[in-house]
Amino acid sequence: MRKVLNWNNMKKIYKKLLISAGIIAVFILIVLSPFHGWARGHVNYITATEDHPLNCFSCHLYNQKTGFIPKLINADYYSPYNLAISGKGDELYIVAEESGELLVADTRKGKVTRKIKVGDKPHSVTCDKNGDFAFVSNQWSDFVSVIDLEKYSVVREIKTGNGPAGLALSPDEKYLYVVNSYSNDVSLINLENGKEWKRFSAGNNPSGIGMNPAKTSLFVTSRRALLAPYGDPVECELTEIEEAGKRIAGRMDIKSVYMLENIEFTPAGDLALIPMIRPKNLIPSIQVEGGFIMTNGITIIEQKENGRTIQLLLDEPNSYYADPFDIAITPDGKRAFVSHAGVDQISAIDLDSLRSFINSHTTEELEYYSNHLGTSCHFVIRRIPTGANPKGMAVSPDGSKLYVAEHLEDRIGVINTGSLETEGSIDLGGPRRITVARKGRRLLNNSKGTFQNQYTCFTCHPEGHEDGLVYNMASKDMGRNLANTQSLRDISETAPYKWNGKNHTIYKQDGLRFSTVLTRNEPFSYEELDALVAYIVTGIPYPPNLVYNRTGELNAMQLRGKALYERTIDKMGNEIPEKQRCITCHPPPYFTNRKFEDVGSLIASDDSMLFDTPHLNNIYASPPYLHHGLALSLEEIWTVYAHKDTHGRVNDLTKIELNELMEYLKSLGDPEFYRDEEKILRAKANPR
Amino acid sequence: MALFMTLSCGRNEPGPSLLILTEAPGELGSPDYLSGESWRYISGARISKIVPGKPGSPKVLTGDFHSAAFPHISYDGRSMLFSAIENEGEPWQIWEMNLKNGKYRKVISSNDDCTDPSYLPAGRIIFSKRTVNDTVVNAHCVYMCKFDGSSLRQITFSPASYFANCVLKDGRVLSVSTDVLPEKGRTMMMVMRPDGTKGDMMYRIPKGSNVVSRACETKDGKIVFAESANVSSGKKDIISISYNRPLYTRINLTSDLEGDFIFALPLETEKLLVSHRASPKDRYGLFEFDPAHKSLGQPVYSDPDYNIVEVIPAEEYQRPKNLPSEVDPEVKTGLIMCQDINIHGFQSSLDSSTGPKASRIEVLGVDSTFGVLDVEEDGSFYLKVLADKPFRIRNLDDKGQVVDESSSWLWLRPNERRGCVGCHEDPELVPENRIPMAVKKSPVIVPVHITRIDEKSVELE
Repeated sequence: MRKVLNWNNMKKIYKKLLISAGIIAVFILIVLSPFHGWARGHVNYITATEDHPLNCFSCHLYNQKTGFIPKLINADYYSPYNLAISGKGDELYIVAEESGELLVADTRKGKVTRKIKVGDKPHSVTCDKNGDFAFVSNQWSDFVSVIDLEKYSVVREIKTGNGPAGLALSPDEKYLYVVNSYSNDVSLINLENGKEWKRFSAGNNPSGIGMNPAKTSLFVTSRRALLAPYGDPVECELTEIEEAGKRIAGRMDIKSVYMLENIEFTPAGDLALIPMIRPKNLIPSIQVEGGFIMTNGITIIEQKENGRTIQLLLDEPNSYYADPFDIAITPDGKRAFVSHAGVDQISAIDLDSLRSFINSHTTEELEYYSNHLGTSCHFVIRRIPTGANPKGMAVSPDGSKLYVAEHLEDRIGVINTGSLETEGSIDLGGPRRITVARKGRRLLNNSKGTFQNQYTCFTCHPEGHEDGLVYNMASKDMGRNLANTQSLRDISETAPYKWNGKNHTIYKQDGLRFSTVLTRNEPFSYEELDALVAYIVTGIPYPPNLVYNRTGELNAMQLRGKALYERTIDKMGNEIPEKQRCITCHPPPYFTNRKFEDVGSLIASDDSMLFDTPHLNNIYASPPYLHHGLALSLEEIWTVYAHKDTHGRVNDLTKIELNELMEYLKSLGDPEFYRDEEKILRAKANPR
Repeated sequence: MALFMTLSCGRNEPGPSLLILTEAPGELGSPDYLSGESWRYISGARISKIVPGKPGSPKVLTGDFHSAAFPHISYDGRSMLFSAIENEGEPWQIWEMNLKNGKYRKVISSNDDCTDPSYLPAGRIIFSKRTVNDTVVNAHCVYMCKFDGSSLRQITFSPASYFANCVLKDGRVLSVSTDVLPEKGRTMMMVMRPDGTKGDMMYRIPKGSNVVSRACETKDGKIVFAESANVSSGKKDIISISYNRPLYTRINLTSDLEGDFIFALPLETEKLLVSHRASPKDRYGLFEFDPAHKSLGQPVYSDPDYNIVEVIPAEEYQRPKNLPSEVDPEVKTGLIMCQDINIHGFQSSLDSSTGPKASRIEVLGVDSTFGVLDVEEDGSFYLKVLADKPFRIRNLDDKGQVVDESSSWLWLRPNERRGCVGCHEDPELVPENRIPMAVKKSPVIVPVHITRIDEKSVELE
């Protein structure tokens, strides 16, 4: 079709030309004094340093979120996340998380042969025994795509709970278990009619699911720890579902762990193995040495009467293996492989040695070893390097090959399970160039910036969000000033950062301070810092709020809550002082005025300070609340920690009205939905 | 007559193009690992350069000096730090030489002996210097300063001599430390950050043995060095430990070979270049060594008049990490937290009924006690200790009886924050994730007779 060069098209072209000319003009001005001095001061302010290169592109090009420029400088990657292999081993089914596709790769030819569009942010894939259908969970679309593997096309979309992730078919393949990672439950789908039949509640942010070889039980892992006041033990739920009765058989609260991403059983069925992180958030964060921040390993559950739950570290005294994600076991039950997404390595475990180790020690001894960095040498036989950010894995049916989704490499690594050497890779055909934001994403997901690779930014900010834990950063004294981890989602316009608002830019937040206090390693180079900031600014959007605000239309309860949120008169007819109105400090689109306030939330262990007003988008997904994380629900913010109207006027509300206010708060989603409201508010504030 | 061979024996494997040697004349004296005499300070020693495979005499680089030893090459391969004395009777000082033109300059001017310099990232160096004062008594402490010798700072404060410094790829300083007090001669490999914080044992030297060389890191994650089986006259061997797990991975690479080895340099080929002599009547010469097969290869260089005591390639190499520092010289104290003093080994953690429980600690200074204090119910303590003062901790029971003998020497740098899992605990043990009761209160000031310290308050975040 011939393109019509009308006035609108001309305007667009002129606009682009003007932008380009503007950039060049600014660049020339910067080189010339006295503008140079101003630019130096400006960059010093933004970066909180005095020697960051004067590179306008770093902020004014790579940090653009919308429009023509981001399209030009960014690239669309596949980002393989999980994968499954056909029964014959001839095809791989690869979930491309970023492009929203299921890629089919021919394992013999070593190349992608099909691309099937599925939903938004697909997470997992599983296939039936005959290889007729593949099922793909779409975490940001709340449905499972059913793909006919003969036609290579989507034949059905099945509605699920919120954030579908891990998948498992029932032994008779009449049902599909879908782990709903955001709504904290598991949907049981009847595949005959494509309807959800049952829903089981699960742990906090459940993720993986695995069935034992006897096909009698399924176990559902959780990423986030169960909500508990700071000081209580960190525990993560492993939910057991009895397959025959299709009911909850039990809930195990696994001590001292979180980020239980996936689970796998040995073929003999004697052990279940789960990658895990053992966080040290209750200990003052005073050093990295000696495993004082994070340790990484596997939880092992003996599958027998009175079977033990054992935790063993895969770390070593001077070397840590951050962010263990997936586990795969060879069909002969000899070897297990754990992908460490944070160090671009896979640990190869000799399972007989592991069995020998746990069988030769008492429960008490193994409890001791759960904190010991010297145990992995007894069963880890090789660390195998991979491409960037290894995630899901699959072993070929004959057990000879391990396929690894190299998430940020756009590649599938192929490892020989006998020699434990990488013998090839399957290129997914993504862009060859690594954009600045992509480089930043790799940095955020890699532990090389942390002393001895102990953890990554991702560890405390999984998927760019937060880990639900409260840390004692011990910035002045130990045991004081707790800090509830904050999300990184779309934070570019929510400065200042940190609860005390001391960092006015992301550059400052992630610069020298970050390395001195957190990573205790060489600071990021300026080039790395530019890339990290570019990714944080442009690459971490909010997931859609599909539970509380699917259509953008508020329900009646939420509308009543919104009225309370925006009210200026209390129920006694008195005008609410401006500072006590919700909307004053939390205006759209980010629901923060970016100012400092005292809302009466200080506790005895806090120094006297004001807090940066937090943004509230997707607030439903960020418990616990307040700077100290002691409010385990939105309601507790007022009922426990501000019952004297110190955090807005709420004491005149009934219980039902408070619930309505909560419902409105839970409906808040991506800031882009509130740009109009922002304009209206501005117009009200400034009628001219 | 000198002997030259190409490295790697003509198998097209890469080798360094220029080697810098520390050569010691005649018989090597009996080394004193506390004072450094005849070990780090070798009278008449010189620094030379040779080109492997190229015939001809080595070129002496330090002809203007009475004695010179232990060079360290800058990351760009262009300069060399070394310790030397210009005229006999003067103290050893730290110098830097431009390897291209041979010009040199004095980096450190001191009345005390200085040795074992190493480059640090960001324009700084470390070295050992003889220090005499009330806290370290008479020992060699590690110091840090800028390239021009300014901003000189002492970074070790225990009564122990630190020699043979090297900088690990992770940015920490590794030194051979020998205690002066409470008894002389207890030796270990200590690792610390370049600001002197987080000092800890890296490698426990077998009883009666001594590390006799600087350590070097290999490409595949090993640390190699020479060790003497007996402090004065035992066989000297090349030892390998793993960086990842240094305490339990010791391998004696040369135990089956005749003769002594006093230094090992990792080569790109995964082989080592070692200083070796077949018998005490020979001089130490350079040989290739294959650690995989534990076999001695071709001689590379030897000189009938000189022992080759150390060798280093003059080439560009990867800069270690430039670690950030929490030290603030305006702060007078550091903070230390221990999670449970009753964790002091494998058995104690498993069996709570074994032996008496400690409920107090005594903090001991060099020549006096800093005080006795109760620990919390969970065994934790939290102390604010005067910075740069060495101390040890011993555990006491309710009656004041000693439960555990005192720990190794500790010190805290100004504003350092540091944690321990227990006392004499298994060094591979990490803390249990629980709040130590002690940090719910303010720290106890040590020495306990001090009730208040006015100092700058630092907020790291």
